[in-house]
Amino acid sequence: MSEVDPPTRFTPDQATLDRFGASTRNPHRIHYEDEFAREEGLNGTVVMAQLHGCLLFRAAARWAGDPARVVSLGWRNRAPSGPGDQLTVTVTGATAAGTGMIRLELTETGPDGAPRCIGYAVVRAVGK
Amino acid sequence: MRRALREVETRALLSLGRTGRRSLGRIRAADATAFAEAAGETDPRLLDPSRPDFLLHPMYLVSLLRGPGPGLAGPPEELRPDGMYRDEVPGTDGLDVLLMAGGQRLTWHAPLRKDQDVEQTHRLISVRRKGRQPNRFLVLIVHKTWSTAGQGVVVEADETFLVR
Repeated sequence: MSEVDPPTRFTPDQATLDRFGASTRNPHRIHYEDEFAREEGLNGTVVMAQLHGCLLFRAAARWAGDPARVVSLGWRNRAPSGPGDQLTVTVTGATAAGTGMIRLELTETGPDGAPRCIGYAVVRAVGK
Repeated sequence: MRRALREVETRALLSLGRTGRRSLGRIRAADATAFAEAAGETDPRLLDPSRPDFLLHPMYLVSLLRGPGPGLAGPPEELRPDGMYRDEVPGTDGLDVLLMAGGQRLTWHAPLRKDQDVEQTHRLISVRRKGRQPNRFLVLIVHKTWSTAGQGVVVEADETFLVR
């Protein structure tokens, strides 16, 4: 499957977090203030959950061939990621999920290969 | 369990099932494309409103904590010391607890048409303790919907928050 569906990769930097946070009106300081994030027990600022969601969505949309074919998406955050971490989403499985629907299993890993998010998507199968 | 966490649990249990509403105002193509660009999106169908197959990025609405219009974010006194909106995570207002997102489950019912006024509803549906002392934490699940007058509910979500 990996030869047909190459992984979806993205490396957000701090500017990405600032820009994404402004766009979504997200004021949580753990995304912008390194020292504050460390006071909260993190290794530094962290990528927003919704930005992880966007990368998972992108992987599902690419697999389906059209973002309009993604009908559901879910994920659980497994570990934080920081700016500069290359995030890689791989479609690890695809199974029939009712008439004309396919369920995709999605895994997002960080630069160390460890999971950051485990998720799924259901896509319309038209044209796939 | 820490006193603050127990207080969150008590407040959250008391608010289970109550529905809150929030206007996100009018959702414009320019705001959705700015979001798509910020997220590193490269699909032109999510970036170019002049295309006939242009789509408001489906993740935009569910990522918005407040509406994009002026005045919808509210004054600074609506924020916790950690910057988060005081009412974003149920039961945590004024309490010294750590907030983290745990994940989401999203279902889209229809693509949102541009220039629609969107209302969000949010309702706490689950409060659970997890982990062992002294690392016990709470898992809160909030059910959210986003709707327009013309389209009804376009997307709904179960959003998980971790409170430590």
